[in-house]
Order: sequence, then structure tokens, then C-alpha cells
Amino acid sequence: MSGQCHDCSRISPWQLLVIAGFSASLVACQPATNDVEPLQQGLVYCSEGNPEGFNPQLGTSGTTIDATSAQLYDRLLDYDAEQQQFVPALAEHWQALDDGRRYRFALRQGVHFHHTDWFTPSRSLTADDVIFSFQRWLQPSHPYHAVNGGNYPFFTSSGLVNLIRQVERIDDYTIDFHLSRPDSSFLANLATDFAVILSAEYGQQLITTDQLQHIDRQPIGTGPFQFVEFRKDLLIRYQRHQHYWREAPYFEQLVYVITSSANKRMLKLLTGECDVIPYPLVDELQQLDVDDEIEVSSAVNPNIAYWGFNTNRPPFDQPLVRQALSHAVNRQAIIQAIYNGNARQASGILPETSWAFTELDQTHEYDPQRAKQLLQQAGYAQGFAMRIWAMPVQRAYNPNAQRMAELIQADLAHIGVRAEIVSYEWNEFRRRLDQGEHDSVLIGWVADNADPDNFFGPILSCAAAQGGNNRTNWCDPAFDQLLAQALAETVADNRRLLYQTIETYALQQAPLMPIANSLRFQAHRLDISGVELPPYGGISFRHARRVTAPIVSGEQP
Amino acid sequence: MIRYSIRRLVLLLITLWLLSLFMFALQQLFPGDTLTNISGIRPSDGVAYELAYQHYAMSQSWLSQYWQFFQHLLRGDWGQSLVTQRAVFNDIMPQLGATLELTVLAMIISLVIGVPLGLYAAVQQRGPLDRVIMAVSLSAYSIPAFWLAQLALLLFAVKLGWAPISGQLNPLFNIPPVSGSVLVDIFLSDSHYRSAAFVDALHHLWLPVVVLSIIPLTLLIRITRNATLDVLQQNYLRAARSRGLSESRIMIKHVMPNAMQVIVRQLGLQFSLLMSNIIIIETIFNWPGIGSSLIKSIYERDYPVMLGGLFTLAALILLVNVAVELYHAWRYPQVRKELYAER
Repeated sequence: MSGQCHDCSRISPWQLLVIAGFSASLVACQPATNDVEPLQQGLVYCSEGNPEGFNPQLGTSGTTIDATSAQLYDRLLDYDAEQQQFVPALAEHWQALDDGRRYRFALRQGVHFHHTDWFTPSRSLTADDVIFSFQRWLQPSHPYHAVNGGNYPFFTSSGLVNLIRQVERIDDYTIDFHLSRPDSSFLANLATDFAVILSAEYGQQLITTDQLQHIDRQPIGTGPFQFVEFRKDLLIRYQRHQHYWREAPYFEQLVYVITSSANKRMLKLLTGECDVIPYPLVDELQQLDVDDEIEVSSAVNPNIAYWGFNTNRPPFDQPLVRQALSHAVNRQAIIQAIYNGNARQASGILPETSWAFTELDQTHEYDPQRAKQLLQQAGYAQGFAMRIWAMPVQRAYNPNAQRMAELIQADLAHIGVRAEIVSYEWNEFRRRLDQGEHDSVLIGWVADNADPDNFFGPILSCAAAQGGNNRTNWCDPAFDQLLAQALAETVADNRRLLYQTIETYALQQAPLMPIANSLRFQAHRLDISGVELPPYGGISFRHARRVTAPIVSGEQP
Repeated sequence: MIRYSIRRLVLLLITLWLLSLFMFALQQLFPGDTLTNISGIRPSDGVAYELAYQHYAMSQSWLSQYWQFFQHLLRGDWGQSLVTQRAVFNDIMPQLGATLELTVLAMIISLVIGVPLGLYAAVQQRGPLDRVIMAVSLSAYSIPAFWLAQLALLLFAVKLGWAPISGQLNPLFNIPPVSGSVLVDIFLSDSHYRSAAFVDALHHLWLPVVVLSIIPLTLLIRITRNATLDVLQQNYLRAARSRGLSESRIMIKHVMPNAMQVIVRQLGLQFSLLMSNIIIIETIFNWPGIGSSLIKSIYERDYPVMLGGLFTLAALILLVNVAVELYHAWRYPQVRKELYAER
């Protein structure tokens, strides 16, 4: 007995430690239990990147919109894409007065702002909050105008800055917008994810404590979720807004886990670490046989991928050259190779989803012979050398710009144009585009609202060429005239005809070559339902819920 | 011992000071505005930039600039991130906690497993088990950490589902980061679900810790084995045996302590090795430590964060090395004597 004990004690401390270590690792290896309350009452969304801030007024990046608009804020009105009509949100009803030069909004009463550790609202939403939110970007003298960059790209490029002459407070719950001219896209612009309502009281509090920049970093809104914390490169945490004016969301917690690698997002969806992911690798997911766990859904996304020519630089200042290049590219091959058929070859600048869309093909067909003739006419019989700028990132409208550039490069070689492919880091890329350093660029546009003007004004107008998203730098007064005419028109059928004229004009001038309209994909685990991907704007988790038993995908609405 | 300690500590201070000089030089060499690189305040920030311009004595000679910089460094005012505009020092401290958690656990595992295995292999010298241990440790040592981490993820996380792919903890457990070390934070938190969170944290922790410990583990096995073999050949052991001491007594009383001396001396070196691997492991496992933040700051050209991370890592390695040396000298006086004799 004692001999045995002696043997034991010789190695027992070590042995014990080893055993302890192994058993600890065995505990760790056990799959963690999932029926703990917080895990059931929360949703993990693995987003693709860090938001630039928490105020959509300041940006146009899809990542920021996805993280903020539908979660933290509300707008005066929403757009119901299915019914194709505007629905009341913070404004209960509205009416156009003075031939469309004045809009009167009646605000909803009893709308509560977020109650957080850093802000306790003393009142509910009033006209002051709406005025505060709009004046921030309308008035350069507003105390918050220059805070956190002071750029409001959506409002500048959509022309709202010039359109709204004055925002007038009639009483606590009534507000008038005075417009400089009738504009049929006004309501559509107010329904976008950018026109959010902030809290004037919070703004005032921050002025007293001299922490103005906090307004976009520790946001206060009226939305279904309220901000808890943001840890860069790790996560954004939201919690349910208990006193939301609509039905409060199902999930108590909503966490965005920032996972920039598309591959890791897919794997984490497989292991259940993510409930929902954006921009999945659709092909790879379909190859794995995981239909019983994961559903890939796609939503119509009103977008256009295009190849824009910098019309400030020769030879792209000649319409003939631009037409020739448009004739030279085999777009059918691009749809197959880049989108795997998950996109529609664009037949104009307007996508199929727009109400002003017509079946008429308003693009240059693939015809290398014609392209050569046009080049000859323009005096470039020998061709020339040019650069194609390709985006470094994946976007809904273009999953692989680099590869697309290679295909175009090969097509151009047939007509004697020698193309070189250029790319930079994304922020640098956009900065250099702003400076107009490019010959031509493969980029795209996602509509912010249902108005057809959103496909022309922000990407082709003179205003957008000066300080917006017009990457072609094309500024044609005649074209702007047409756009203004279409905006002033109120009868839908007449507007549709006007937009056809506009398309034809753009076809002749060919500042850009429309390539494709594609779908936006997301993937989620089968026990999650109700994650909305509206065609205009960012993802919304307001109606998301966890269903207890995974249901078969066929039964889902 | 006191003289030795003072010498070591003075050397440490001098090295840290040289490090600060090096950082100062880097700030001048980085592209862009030097003050922005130091403080993270851009010229477009108006008043704040002018204030910082005075605080850092930018209009004066480089000597007074350095002096201002040095004072800020000591005060823990390391500027703000160019990306998030948050104070670098406050962000780095929880990251340090997360990094230390991985490091300490990996170190413990490699000690607890590596030393006994090395001892065992030495006792069984040239036996079949010795050969197996040696072969396995050599092949494990030759596997690069980034490759091993990816393989382990594919096998244990994706295929077997024994571990999650990344992160410290399921984010739905709302545990506020205080120290950065997830186990400590769970202990400190007042969450109702502490035990469930603790299990979940272990579940996230074990894979990166095991992968990280592989290289020091294999090295420790080999060092322990060689050290033990050396000791086993010493004359005093023959004397002990001839006096009729039992094998177990010889191992515990005479072999192990003497072998440990060599091992302890190597620990500082092992730690430095661990720190270079942890940068890779943290990036792969999305561990919110200094290593992954350093890599990101390099991608984003966030110089204040980059310098803060560099300084913290370098200072940590220096501190640990000095601590190990001091312990070594205190525990094994003969080392001290050798050092004094060299003089």
C-alpha cells in the first residue's frame, strides 16, 4: 500500500496537472449550450466592415447604411417597395400645397427617443427635432454643420440642398417645407435612408458639454434598436428600444460582428456563429450541401454596374470614341463569367425595377466591326492606349471588377485599343476618382429611392460632376435641362416618356456603358426569419425573429 | 543580488529609453505630417491641432520636441487613433489583457506538458517512447504557426465543430471589457449567465491557446531533455547513486532542480518567440489583442496606434526578459557568481 503511494506521489503533481489540463480542454471542447437566454434573444449579423460613423446623413457607403439607418433611426415617411407607395412613418400624413412648392407634414405624437446611459430624453419627438435634423445639412451656419467632416454627399448630389428653401415650424407637430420649385422626387428623397431624424435635445446637451462630435458616435434616434457600444474591427452592439412607437423588435440584442473576409463569413455562418451574413460566396455555398441549415436569399437591388469614361480627358471627350468602346465590349460574356448568370444585361441606365423602365434596348450592341469604323471616323484608326480602373472591393452590382476589367481588356485588344488595368485601396481609389485621375472606371450605382431621377441626377448631372458621384465628369447643359424638365413633370406617363428621351440622349453621347443590373444576396440560418433587404436602402432587423423549429425553406413566405 | 538587480534594472531603463528614441525617430520618418503621426490630430482639426502643436513643442528644436514626446509617453498620453479618434492608450490596455491571457495560458500549457515529457524522454533515453516524443516534437516545431492555425480551424471548428472559428466569446453574452482578458472580465461582471459565459469563453479559448503553445512546447521538450541528460551525467549523481539514494529521490531532489535552471534561463527567449507568433494567431482567430490591432493599424496607416502597439509589445518583451533574468539569478546563485566573475 505504502509502496504504491510512494510510486504515485513521485509523479502525481505533474500527472495531476496534466489530467487537469486535459479535462479543462475537454470541457472546452464540449459544444457550448445554446439554450441560454441571451443567446436565444439575440441575433448575430456578420457585417462586412466597420461603419464610417453612426449617422447616414454623412455618408453614402452601403456598410454605414446597413449598420445605422433602419436600426437606429426613422424617417418622416417610408417607401413600401411592394405596394410602390409612400407610407407614413414619423409623419402621420402630408400634403402638397402651392402647386407642389410647399409640403406640409403632420408629425406623429408620442414618439420616444432612445433612453441611454448618456442621454435621457425629457420629451418626445416634435417639430424641433425635424428642423434640427434638416438644418444640420441645409444650413452652413448650423452648429453641427461642420461636425465630423461636414460632407453630406447624398443631399448635395440629389440637389435637395438647393431644392429646400426653408423648413418652417408651424406648431409642435406641424412642419412646412418650402421648395424652390416643384419637384416630383422630393418625397422619394425624404423616404431614403439618408433623411433620418436626430434629436435636437441631444444636440443641445452635447453643445453644453462641448462634445459635438459625439452626435454621430454615440447616436440617439427613434429607431427600433438603440446603440450600446462599438468596438472597431470587433462588433457593434444594439439593444431593443423598449418604447419604440411601432411594435418593438423581437430580438433583445442585435450584434454586428465585423468579419471582413468573405470566406470567414461563410464558415461562421456554417458553424452557427453568424445568423445572417451579407454578400455570401453564392457559388461556394451552393456547392456545400447545407440546404437544411442555410438559406441564400436574393433581393432585387436597383443598381447598375457601368463603365464610365472620363470625358475631360482626350480621346474620351469625343462621343465617337465612347460609342466605339461601348460597341467593342461583349457584355453577354461578362454576365456569364462575372455574375454566373445572376444578373440581367442592362438595356439602359434605368434598371428593370424602376417604374419608368421600358423594354426598348438603349445600349450599344456588341459589334467590333462597327467599333473599328467609329474609331476610324474619330481619327484613331491605329487605336490608342488607355487605362481601366477596377474597384478593389466586392459590391452588390459588381462582384469582381478586376476580372471584368480583364475581359474588357481582351475585347478592346480586338479593335486595337491597348488597355491597362489599375487599382488602389478603396478609400484611395475613391479619392483619386474625385480628383479625376482616371481614363475610365468600372464602378456602379445603387439607387437610394424609387424615383427614376436617382439614376441620372447623382451620376450624370453637372452638379454631380462638381462634387458628387459623377465619375464621367460629363456635364452637358442640354442633358441637365432634360432632367429638370422630367423633375418638373408630375404626370407619371409623361415623365416616363421624358426618361426615354433622356436614355436616348445618354445613348448617343455614351458617357458610360451600362453593363448589368444584379441581385443582392444574403444568407441566413434557417431558424431566422424576417430579415428584410429592401430594394432601396439598408438591411432591416425590425421584423427579424428566431423560429423555434427550423422550417423547410419551401414553406417560407 | 542587489548589485545585480540594480544593474539589470538600469539596463532595462536604458533600453526602454533607447526604444523611445527609436519611436521618436520613426515618427519623423513616417510619411505625412509628423505631429499627426505622433498625436493623431490632423491639420484640418483646427484649434485642436494648434494646441497639440504647442504641447508637442513642434516649433522648437528636436531636443525639446523629443522631451515633450517623452513626457507624453510617460503620462500615458499616446495620442488618438487616426481612424477612430479614440485615445490610443485606453484602447491598448484591454488589448494587452487579451494578449497576455493567450500568452500566459499558452506558456503554462507548454510548461506543464513540455517539462514532464522532456524529463520522461531523458529518463527513457533512446527508448521507443523517447524517439516518438522527439520525432513528434521536431515535426511539430517545423510547422509554421499560420498554417497550423488554419488547419486546426478547418478540422476542429469547421469539420468537428468543437470550437468556434473566431473571437473571444459569443458576443451575445454582454460582458463589458475591463481588463481585456475574457476569463477575468467574466469573473468581474455581474451578468446572470456567468457560468454559461465562462464555458463559452473556454470553448473559444482552447484552440488558439493550444496552437500558440505548440512551438514553445516542442522547444521546451527538447531543452528539458538535453538539460536533464547533461545533469544525469554529472559526478554528483553518481555519488548520490553510490550512496544508495532511490531513483525517485535522485530525480526530484537532484536532477529536476538542476535541469530547471537551464529551462528557466530559456523562458525569456521562449516568451519573445511566443510574442512573434501571437501576432499571427490573433489575426487568424480575430482575437482582440495587440497583435491583431498592430496588423490592422499597419493596413490602415494608423501611425499612433502602430507606434503604441510596437512600444507595448517591445516593452513587454523587455520586462519579461528582465524579470526572468532576475528570478533566475535570485533562484540560482551560481549564475550570479559567474556574472560577477566575468567582470
